[in-house]
Amino acid sequence: MEYQGNPVSEGIAVGKVLRYERFTPKIEEKTLRPEEVEPAVRHYEEARGGAKAELEHIRDSFGAGGEDKKKIITAHLDILMDVAMDEEIRQAIHGKMLPAENAIQKVYSKYIRRIGKAKDALIRERATDMKDVCTRILRNCAGVREQSLAVLPQPVIVFADDLFPSDTASLDRSKVLAIVTEVGGPTSHTAIIARSYEIPALLGVADALRLVADGERVIVDAVDGRLITQPTEEQVRAYEKKRAEFAKKAAETKKYIGIEPVTADGEKIEVELNIGSASVPELQGSKYTTGVGLFRTEFLYMGRDTLPTEEEQYDIYRKVLTEFGDRPVTLRTLDIGGDKKLDCMDLPKEDNPFLGNRALRLCLSHRDLFKTQLRAALRAGTIGNLWIMFPMVGSLDDIRNAKQVVQEVRGDLDREHIPYGKNIKIGIMIEIPSIAMIADLAVKEVDFASIGTNDLCQYTTAADRLNPTVAPYYQSYHPAMFRLIRYVAQEFKKAGKPLCVCGEMGGDKLAMPVLLGFGIRRISMGLASVANVKRILSRLTVARAEELAENVCRQETAADAAAYLKSALADIL
Amino acid sequence: MYKKTVTIQNATGLHARPASDFIALAAKFKSYIVIRRKGGDEDDDANAKSIVNVLSLGLAQGEEVEIEATGDDEKKAVDSLVDLINSKFGE
Repeated sequence: MEYQGNPVSEGIAVGKVLRYERFTPKIEEKTLRPEEVEPAVRHYEEARGGAKAELEHIRDSFGAGGEDKKKIITAHLDILMDVAMDEEIRQAIHGKMLPAENAIQKVYSKYIRRIGKAKDALIRERATDMKDVCTRILRNCAGVREQSLAVLPQPVIVFADDLFPSDTASLDRSKVLAIVTEVGGPTSHTAIIARSYEIPALLGVADALRLVADGERVIVDAVDGRLITQPTEEQVRAYEKKRAEFAKKAAETKKYIGIEPVTADGEKIEVELNIGSASVPELQGSKYTTGVGLFRTEFLYMGRDTLPTEEEQYDIYRKVLTEFGDRPVTLRTLDIGGDKKLDCMDLPKEDNPFLGNRALRLCLSHRDLFKTQLRAALRAGTIGNLWIMFPMVGSLDDIRNAKQVVQEVRGDLDREHIPYGKNIKIGIMIEIPSIAMIADLAVKEVDFASIGTNDLCQYTTAADRLNPTVAPYYQSYHPAMFRLIRYVAQEFKKAGKPLCVCGEMGGDKLAMPVLLGFGIRRISMGLASVANVKRILSRLTVARAEELAENVCRQETAADAAAYLKSALADIL
Repeated sequence: MYKKTVTIQNATGLHARPASDFIALAAKFKSYIVIRRKGGDEDDDANAKSIVNVLSLGLAQGEEVEIEATGDDEKKAVDSLVDLINSKFGE
């Protein structure tokens, strides 16, 4: 049988299925007979003992450097061994004659509710840990073993509803041949992880988990977006061949990573790097790129209880600036809210977070937070070539307000006689249609801009990029996207100011030639896309890109545009 | 029975990590130890050895709490826990 899916990370795999399912406890209302009470207590004790052994095993398996992960596991052990809950669970079994599962569920639910109502966000977060621990004991009660992607005895194709960061963080990259999930689009967490691990991934396969059994052989074609179950021997042979060809082409493509990014007719293109952690492997991309087009700074704020200090930020910004020398490093100021939450800030829950107080809006309403980051950035800017960029700009007011804060920070530093960079460029992300449509006005206020195509698409098509139900409405190749980008490119070209594209479209093999045709000469992407983009550039002339760009704007639908680009670029791809 | 009053001083209050440190220390004593918000309801008495009890109190910076212990090592228990709170948990 053949099924369709969204190929978000290219590749081919033939292999055995591992169904990765989260345990969901089933508990029926019931009371015990007197002679069942003691066995129920023992059942509880054994389940708790099993859960404890699992947690201790996980904790001990984290080596040096896993301190943060160890802390989380220790917190889970604290909850599991909690004296007050232990006493209440025993009372519920003895006094209320409840089976172990019901007693555990009842007591945990009570505290999860109570802690979930805490005023402090950090305390509320612990309710999530309690739910995890509760599921762990109940799973032990049911005698179901823990599934983990961290320890896999043999190579598998993972089938799941969705994968969470907690699943992928410890995933054994060498044993996962491919990933197939029921939900998720190209900008989902699973997609980003799969691409950076170079694991073929097919997302959005309806009912994927119900289509297969553990251990059966399937074919995943994450080039053409196909899942084949119960393949014939002939199909297996054909796909083994296709896989070898793909691997050969991928190896071939890798050779392009070190070349100068120049088109076939000699036009130099800036191919820049997107970074999000400043880790050593990430910074290795420095060797192959002409700068950093997007330095996401959120990682500094995530997974911690306190805000990062000015000094902490300063050290990391300097590290990146030093690595890139005189090449530009485009630092995007804090971009949280929407899909990204912080433990170290108590942010109110919003009904429409993507339309809410996020990114620059949040920074303008939390001036101290904003100023700390700007101080660190301006100070770090005494070395290297720093560009500062504001996300989520919708109007000239936003630009002026942000620049006003920068001015205030400069004033503070002057008064305190603290040195800072004097030639730092100030720019914006273009990701809200309202700013794209006044690019002619915005360009006068900034030194540069960068188009964030993921959010621009979400706001242009009015489709929440994290909601799988509306995924078909989120259309990167929508003619409106191309027209908006064309207009912005034209205005920045007229003004002679740099314009970059740093969203998924920058590294997309079909869209990138169009961007070039619009006159964009600066694109930024994850390291995984660099080699292929350089390869395509080396085979493309500017004249041909311009022709593509003109034709694509005339396509009627996103599907038409994709089909057109695929056929027009067939000889290059 | 022995008790003392102390003010929470660290900026983030008695949340995740400080709460873990607090119960870990409390667990080292044999006495029965209670932590309660000053002037709070008796029903809100939290077992100082229970992470979920301590978190349920949701103690923030500036709040006054009473720590009360009953047992052989009651004085040492209360004094140690008060010292820990006064140390601001290293924040």
